[in-house]
Amino acid sequence: MKKNGKKNVLKPVEKEVVVVSESDDEVVASDSEHESVESPVVSDDDYEIFSEGNDDRNSDSELDSGSGSEDEDGEHPSNEAGLSDGVDNFDQGDQSASEDSREVVDESDSSEDEVGPRNTIGDVPLKWYEDEEHIGYDVAGKKIKKKERLDKLDSFLARTDDANSWRKIMDDIEDEEVELTKEETKLIRRMLKGKAPHADFDPHAPYVDWFAWDGAKHPLSNAPEPKRRFIPSKWESKKVVKYIRAIRKGLIKFDKPKEEPRFYNLWGDETEESRHGLSYIPAPKAKLPGHDESYNPSLEYIPTQEEISAYQLMFEEDRPKFIPKRFTSLRSVPAYEKSVRETFDRCLDLYLCPRARKKRINIDPESLKPKLPSRKDLKPYPTTCYLEYKGHKGPVVSICTDPVGQHIASGSHDGTVRIWEVETGRCIKVWELGEPVQHVAWNPLPEFPILAVSMGQDVLVLNTGLEKEENKMIADLLRVETTPAPDDSESAGSSVSWSQYDKYEGIRIKHFKTVSSVEWHRKGDYFSTVMPADILLILQLVYLFACTFS
Amino acid sequence: MPKHYRPAGKKKEGNAARYITRSQAVKYLQVSLSVFRRLCIFKGVFPRDPKKKVKGNHHTYYHMKDILFLKHEPLLDKFREMRAYEKKVKKAVSKKNKDLAERLLTRKPTYTLDMLIRERYPKFIDALRDLDDCLTMVHLFAALPAIERENIQAERIHNCRGLSLEWQAYISRTHKLRKAFISVKGIYYQAEVEGQKVTWLTPHALQQVMPQDVDYKIMLTFLEFYETLLGFVNLRLYHSIKLKYPPILDPRLKALAADLYALTRYADAKDRAIGANDEESELRLAQLQDQLPANEPGALMHLVENVADDNEDDEETIACKTLFQNKTFFLGREVPRESLLFVITAFGGVVSWEGDGAPFDESNQDINYQIVDRPTQSHRFISRDYVQPQWVFDCINARIILPTEEYMVGKVLPPHLSPFVDNEAEGYVPEYGETIKRLQAAARKEILPMPGGEHDDLENSQNLLAEGINDRTKAKAAAEKKQEMALHEKQYHQELKEELEGMQYTPDPNIDDDVKSNVEENTDDVSPEQLVKDDENMAMLSMSRKQRGLYEAIKISQQRKRANVETLERRKKNIQKNKKTSD
Repeated sequence: MKKNGKKNVLKPVEKEVVVVSESDDEVVASDSEHESVESPVVSDDDYEIFSEGNDDRNSDSELDSGSGSEDEDGEHPSNEAGLSDGVDNFDQGDQSASEDSREVVDESDSSEDEVGPRNTIGDVPLKWYEDEEHIGYDVAGKKIKKKERLDKLDSFLARTDDANSWRKIMDDIEDEEVELTKEETKLIRRMLKGKAPHADFDPHAPYVDWFAWDGAKHPLSNAPEPKRRFIPSKWESKKVVKYIRAIRKGLIKFDKPKEEPRFYNLWGDETEESRHGLSYIPAPKAKLPGHDESYNPSLEYIPTQEEISAYQLMFEEDRPKFIPKRFTSLRSVPAYEKSVRETFDRCLDLYLCPRARKKRINIDPESLKPKLPSRKDLKPYPTTCYLEYKGHKGPVVSICTDPVGQHIASGSHDGTVRIWEVETGRCIKVWELGEPVQHVAWNPLPEFPILAVSMGQDVLVLNTGLEKEENKMIADLLRVETTPAPDDSESAGSSVSWSQYDKYEGIRIKHFKTVSSVEWHRKGDYFSTVMPADILLILQLVYLFACTFS
Repeated sequence: MPKHYRPAGKKKEGNAARYITRSQAVKYLQVSLSVFRRLCIFKGVFPRDPKKKVKGNHHTYYHMKDILFLKHEPLLDKFREMRAYEKKVKKAVSKKNKDLAERLLTRKPTYTLDMLIRERYPKFIDALRDLDDCLTMVHLFAALPAIERENIQAERIHNCRGLSLEWQAYISRTHKLRKAFISVKGIYYQAEVEGQKVTWLTPHALQQVMPQDVDYKIMLTFLEFYETLLGFVNLRLYHSIKLKYPPILDPRLKALAADLYALTRYADAKDRAIGANDEESELRLAQLQDQLPANEPGALMHLVENVADDNEDDEETIACKTLFQNKTFFLGREVPRESLLFVITAFGGVVSWEGDGAPFDESNQDINYQIVDRPTQSHRFISRDYVQPQWVFDCINARIILPTEEYMVGKVLPPHLSPFVDNEAEGYVPEYGETIKRLQAAARKEILPMPGGEHDDLENSQNLLAEGINDRTKAKAAAEKKQEMALHEKQYHQELKEELEGMQYTPDPNIDDDVKSNVEENTDDVSPEQLVKDDENMAMLSMSRKQRGLYEAIKISQQRKRANVETLERRKKNIQKNKKTSD
């Protein structure tokens, strides 16, 4: 095509052309002789393909056809390249189309005068003129100036103004703007789709077999027809037999008819079988609706407008999920828009939520509080008399229970120490000591029922004789202390003197001052005594190292 | 050495060995996540929370035993087989091996869920216990449109519809429905089957909203299981009343979308023709029945009633059965027909409706109640009451025939209360709830309320009725008071006599104690409120931390409940105030 164009340019055409304007049918005769080089006719030919050289080619073809040449095919090599084996009717169509075009072509020549100097550079890359202000030279050797290009903004404005702008394109070689015709755009569209450019070209025309088969002297192959073309296939029959056998044996199964889901009595035999797997935790049932979910709830269930707007200020989690609404009649209740959503959420809960057994207790919270005794009951003394232990003549100053809690020892100012049975109030034993008793204390070890009594300046350690079986050890313990000599020597400067108590079985420990109280160590090995002085309270602790006890 | 170092070769112990995360489980079973999900749904395997989450808090943990349980499931092999099959088909298609692809498509591997249902619900009662979700889902899908894009096929929708109607037919046939409630979300029903309370929700029969962000695949998987389950349950229930299970329906009624009616008819017809086992004869019978009521509408229903009597029923069932006995209803075009048909027949009423296939038409003289929802009626029969549909639901929840004045056409309806709420536990009884209670009491005692009275401003009969009861209770209270007074007087006289005789006053020991204690309390210098407070604090201190937490939680929930009740009462007061001011 380019070549064609180029040739055209180089070859001056000296023909008169009759140009017919399509719009007003005005016939303008013009002499294109001197201008044919610079300004070939711009045509609107049907077959024009949008490319750089199309105008030239068209003008060429036009000129040729104008000269009465019927050789159309030769003039349209590019267009009809694919149509070489085209059918006659197409050729005719082509011809007629070109005939039509003749008139069309001519109209463009009316603007011949305006057309500026045309491309004279030939088939050279445009890049060479990229930075130049001109493009090629005219016959006189003067530079042909490039047309001034519109800047982007102007071109954009022009485009928006002009409805036909979409079919205008810039021809760089000719340095002009070309407006495509309807036919041209159609052509382009077809080509873009990958079809033949002409609508009337049939790419699937029936094949014409030009080879004359009938008149051939010799067949293509001289071989006789083989026998296998006439007899049934042995291998096929073997295969059939094989299939038959397979079917008989049941190896090949035919498709069964599709079965409908059949239901049967699944729980027919109610055996005591339990569920397999881990312990099954049934999903909690969905919450049952309350009064507020009714389509027509009591008026008090419907929140006021302020309350609803207050919900917007709440956190998303705290916001009520459902806002009650009242409908005056059942007919006006719409479909619930969240029903699918809620069912879906339930499905998710069923298979995604971890389940655990939780004990839900329904109790009065007050029952959780421990029962505290009332203040009244917490008074420090009992209010009613339960038992009286009668026998003492003087005031009782000290009592002490034995570690088991079975007996009570009491010391009184009448000079006696008594032992009582707690449960009955029976007096088990009486010691007449003859001096007011200050304090009594049981040995905390249950196996050594020994009583320490403070009385005046003495402390007595008495054997009560209440041990379960005859315990020799106690007697031994209380007797060993009888030798006063080592005791005296040992505690020469000390305040106590040890001696055997004569009246009853026990030890007497004499202090130099009055002993007010006596207290055992919890292990039962030691005891302490307190001696208040006359005026000053001098607390003197006496530790008796009772090696014999251990 | 890390804290929990496990020497090489030693097995994991404790929670690390007992629980695995979901992704571990998927890997362990060598399936895709979607297959795992399907398996979990079918087998009813759910995650469990370990005491110590070994892998972290943001994982779902499954018990290893559950996963092993899945591993030995034959369905797992089936799913693998299906995957292999899909690959085969895909390969054949992409290789353009059309024959092979077609042949393969005809032998798609299928699976059944029968044994899974048996496994999950070893006894029938277990299945009934878990039926709530199943019924809700099936009823929902029965109301959904078939969507090709979401793979919701029309035949499954039809199947769901069939199953739900079969269930409803059974319930209404055996009068097992106990409660029904119209909510904004749909209509809730509660039935009692074999001692199990089964509650389900049916959406309002309107075009449902299909959200885009819902994974319908999961729902369809659940639905697949539920369809099978409900099928087996229905079969069992139908067999229990000696009916053939997939019921053969009258095609004419089915075409008219009166499936439920067809089903109930099937059940009734079958009851009478015990000998007829042949399916065709059943069908013919059904058709015969269809023609019968056109001539003799009342007779059929009476026949049905007579037949139904032979079963041994508990008291409640009998009460339900006889609620609408000998009452004939006619449904208007605009009321939800299916729901009302179900409810009314379940409570022993006879129903017809406006439209094709109805057993009798509007002009029938036996109709007692016509249920309408339009403000105006073209023609009104004098012999019947025109009530709104809520009346039926309120009646069955209250188990008495409520007076129809309040429910007349065009009237502002009284509130529709939920039968599922225990008003006493909630701590708030709506006004209308109390009215219904009084009416119930009146109906039980067979006392007719005295019309008129000292309050002339009462315009409706309920209030009159209620007032009657109220008077009665007042009188009773007065009598009790009188008795008490008499007792006091007697005691006083006796004491006076004793004083005269010169006896020393010996006060009642317990009274004495009380007085004493009061005196003692007062002697303390702290105020009694302070004492009480101190006691409470002391008790709180002596509780263990766990118990204290529990105590506080209970207290908070109680407070919330109280706050709710207070809100309701406040609103009610406001409403009443507004009403007064507007008057």
